[in-house]
Amino acid sequence: MSDDDSSGWQLTESDPGVFTELLKRLGVPYIVDDLYSLEPESLAALQPVHALIFLFKWVPELASDKSNDNAGHYDTDFPGFFAHQTVNNACATLAVINALGNIAPLTAGPQLMDLMNFTTGMDPQTCGMAITSADWLREAHNALSPPSSISLDGLDLPKKSEDAYHFVVYLPALGSLYELDGLKPYPVRHGEFDGSGEGWLKKAREVIENRIGSYPIGALEFSLLALRDDPLPAMRTRLDVLQGSVEDAEFVDLMNKISNENSKRERWAFENSVRRHNHIGLAHALLLALAKAGKLDLAKAAAQRGMKEYLERRKEMGLDMDES
Amino acid sequence: MSVPLTDSRTMMAFKAGRAFRRPGTNFVDASPVKGAIVLSKDESYLVHFMWKDRTTGEVAEDLILFPGDAKFEKVSQSSWGRTYVLKFESSDQKHFFWLQDSSTSRDEEFVRHLNRVLEDPEIIPVWDVSEPQASTSATASSSTTAGATPEQLAQIRALVGSMTGGTSEEDQFSLTDVLTPQNLLPLFHSHPDLLPSLFPHLPSEFLPSSDPTPHQMAELTEMLQRTINSPPFRASVAQLDRALRTGALGGFVRSLGLPESAGTGVGAFLAAIAEQARQEGGTEEQMDED
Repeated sequence: MSDDDSSGWQLTESDPGVFTELLKRLGVPYIVDDLYSLEPESLAALQPVHALIFLFKWVPELASDKSNDNAGHYDTDFPGFFAHQTVNNACATLAVINALGNIAPLTAGPQLMDLMNFTTGMDPQTCGMAITSADWLREAHNALSPPSSISLDGLDLPKKSEDAYHFVVYLPALGSLYELDGLKPYPVRHGEFDGSGEGWLKKAREVIENRIGSYPIGALEFSLLALRDDPLPAMRTRLDVLQGSVEDAEFVDLMNKISNENSKRERWAFENSVRRHNHIGLAHALLLALAKAGKLDLAKAAAQRGMKEYLERRKEMGLDMDES
Repeated sequence: MSVPLTDSRTMMAFKAGRAFRRPGTNFVDASPVKGAIVLSKDESYLVHFMWKDRTTGEVAEDLILFPGDAKFEKVSQSSWGRTYVLKFESSDQKHFFWLQDSSTSRDEEFVRHLNRVLEDPEIIPVWDVSEPQASTSATASSSTTAGATPEQLAQIRALVGSMTGGTSEEDQFSLTDVLTPQNLLPLFHSHPDLLPSLFPHLPSEFLPSSDPTPHQMAELTEMLQRTINSPPFRASVAQLDRALRTGALGGFVRSLGLPESAGTGVGAFLAAIAEQARQEGGTEEQMDED
């Protein structure tokens, strides 16, 4: 598997809105949310959580030794679902499938259910190849990313160095915490968790915090996501039941929660639309509008001044910069 | 020599190997690997001092240098005489090199030009007026030292300008600085009659199925404002800017109703749009005779 062989899979952004849209297309009743902290209160607010997705990339100058995470043991007899990552660009979708494959019972759209049935009993490598060969899945995945500007192809524009994040899934299976990493040969078993209280999340917190702590400060750029039940249907049902009691604190609280959740979905929908859209036509139309309004020359002159000042300022300040 | 248009402009290059300090000593051991020191400017006009392995082509070192911060000095204690060190005002870093050109006759010239560029990257090193491209195989041409005449400099600038396909001072600005909220939001406010020409270019999910009501117009205006503020929009503009700098967008710009000349650079693109605005009528743009 070479880095250049994207096999038709485009690189996606790794944000909750993108993941949630993918889940919707897969027909599962879950969403993905940003996790800003692993504290019990933060996690409790998102329950039930089915899986945690840890995404990270190494800052090359600071993390020379990439194999800092040696905790746990390979489980060569894992009876659950595990697929290898056979195409780099598919990493986000592969992590999602690895998570979903271990949620039982799984309600999903027919295509995903068929894919799960088809891959039953396959070894991780074959399973991974089956996943990345599923055309419908690849199309759903690609639909999430910016349009490849076909008209600008062949110009050899320098690609900004977009190192992909790596995705690792943590979830409970058979009473233990498992780590599913598509680049490792087997699932990693991190030991049993106590079913009471926070349950598996407590163990997950320990393991993830240890992992983060094993890198020099600043060597790791990472993010955490929680794959959880979509809370809106239940909240709406409850609201219907409480209908009419405006003085009810629970009613008001619920209204606020629903309102917040809806705002978040609207923002995700906006971001997804803008991300998928080809903006070149808009850029041209805006420049034309500026010209018609007699403002284009001024804007250009200001831009030229701005560039000059920027270069001068850098000279003066002697800032050390990284190439971004 | 092809001048890379899109990412960097090579300013000079000469054969050199690296040398490394023997730990715990003051000795510096030369590494035999054949290499080259390459000085270039990137799309942000920053100077890169790179060392490239001539066998593999790999750029093993890439330092961004600030004007006046670095100097390339001869290491006097080296009996062999061709060892140099790159040292900095801003830090204790030292990088050692040894010159690898089989002839020593151009050593002094290379080092002198290198130091002048490190001091002030705006300087265009004048090698020889008749042959502006440095050639390591050429015999040392009559020295053109610090005093190039204004005519010679103008000649060089014109040649460099033509080599880089029109990326002249004219184009020293970025489209991303033109299509800013600071320029666009007041436009939406002052010329609402132009908004209907913009809405159709928004994501189709935002557009109503029939003529927008006043309420929908307000919503669309808000969507437009949010869109121009979004990272994907800014990324598209940056990409368009980079593509225009290749000078090779002639075919593409026709799809926008512009002439092929509009695809030769950022300045040309804007000039063609200004003309398009005039032709479509209703422009308040002053005629810019240049």
